Amino acid sequence: MSLDYVKFSSGFEKFMPKEYRDMVEHGPFGKKVSVSQMGSFKEVLEEHPMCAGCAMTLFIRLAMIAFPNPEDTITVGTAGCGRLAISQAAIPFVYGNYGDQNGVASGLSRGLRLRFGDKPKDVVVMAGDGGTADIGFQQVLHSWFRKERFTTIMLDNEVYGNTGGQESGMTNRGAVLKMAPLGKKFEKMDMLQMAKVAGCAYVATVVPNNPRRVESVIKKAVLIAREVGSTYIQAYTSCNIEYAIPTDKVMEDAKNVENDRYQFSEYITDEAKQFLTERYGYKEFLPKPAAPAPGLPKA
Amino acid sequence: MYLVADISVEICAAKSCKLCTQYCPEANTILYSDEMGKDKGFKYGSAYVAVDRCKGCAQCVWVCDNMAKNNAIKMIMIDQLPVAALTDNITYGEKSTTATLVSPVVG
Ligand code: SF4
Ligand code: SF4
Repeated sequence: MSLDYVKFSSGFEKFMPKEYRDMVEHGPFGKKVSVSQMGSFKEVLEEHPMCAGCAMTLFIRLAMIAFPNPEDTITVGTAGCGRLAISQAAIPFVYGNYGDQNGVASGLSRGLRLRFGDKPKDVVVMAGDGGTADIGFQQVLHSWFRKERFTTIMLDNEVYGNTGGQESGMTNRGAVLKMAPLGKKFEKMDMLQMAKVAGCAYVATVVPNNPRRVESVIKKAVLIAREVGSTYIQAYTSCNIEYAIPTDKVMEDAKNVENDRYQFSEYITDEAKQFLTERYGYKEFLPKPAAPAPGLPKA
Repeated sequence: MYLVADISVEICAAKSCKLCTQYCPEANTILYSDEMGKDKGFKYGSAYVAVDRCKGCAQCVWVCDNMAKNNAIKMIMIDQLPVAALTDNITYGEKSTTATLVSPVVG
């Protein structure tokens, strides 16, 4: 895990596939790239079998661009649509058994700290709503209570999309799905509140129709997890198949859902604010300059 | 035959907002060239689609029509594209050679 692992061994260059050569010559490793430069550098994500027009694919694409050091990052996932793309990137991916991804990530992040000391190696869990809030719930919550220093990202498509449309804990009350024909009887789980109660240092919700915001929350979450504690991002990434959204309307849906029930929210502890400000030069948490006192006579 | 996105250089280069590059769900698919359109006198470049990666979802069409308000992208049947769109609109290196298309889409 260093910049060397993407370089060619001498003499092999001409035998490497085009995608690999593009990655070495135009890739983001060792450089700072941003969402505003998209289309002008080779992304770490390669071709994958996720459905056309999937919002989750777009979110994963943006997330990988936002990782502060892609060459020093390991992703962890579990069963679900997302892993079809997450595993097709020039970033090492660990496939946990269903439900244990946050346990695997805990061990991984501790092991990396032992091995590499202070040099930051980022661990990012990306799993679906079923993997995070249902099957992985216990390990997710415990990793947060233990303040394990890695980022958990929930790809919330509000359904088990990979297995034909069963309701998950994150499905909205009343939603009718192929395998939930009478409609879901319970409320959507409030994982955001649980993350705060369990002690996460940073909790945010995003929708991929705002790429710059996705970039900003992921950067903050990954940086905070280096030292301060657990961080959690919950992203609305609709399943256009199970919710029958025409592919050219996926962003319109994201916008409507964002306005309706998935507004941007960000929670950050004072310790995390201080860390971002002092260590990484963030300005947004500095106290605002005091406004001039009202009512003073003009000079 | 199947549909892929096609960007009109004339219409795009007049605005060049790069919005579509941030919204295509597929990585390395809508790319941006600073040079495209310069020969036609446009100051900025244009976006273009690496069609061998496009899955035909038409999200970029929605973004260009509704967010950029520029209507530069249309979905067209892949066999209606000029050959240059298949050979030159690829991801980075080695343009102008069909050898770089892993599986040729026409022919
Ligand atoms: S959104 Fe439209 S105008 Fe903007 S870069 Fe893309 S094709 Fe060009
Ligand atoms: S049609 Fe879909 S996959 Fe093709 S370029 Fe447009 S957004 Fe990307």
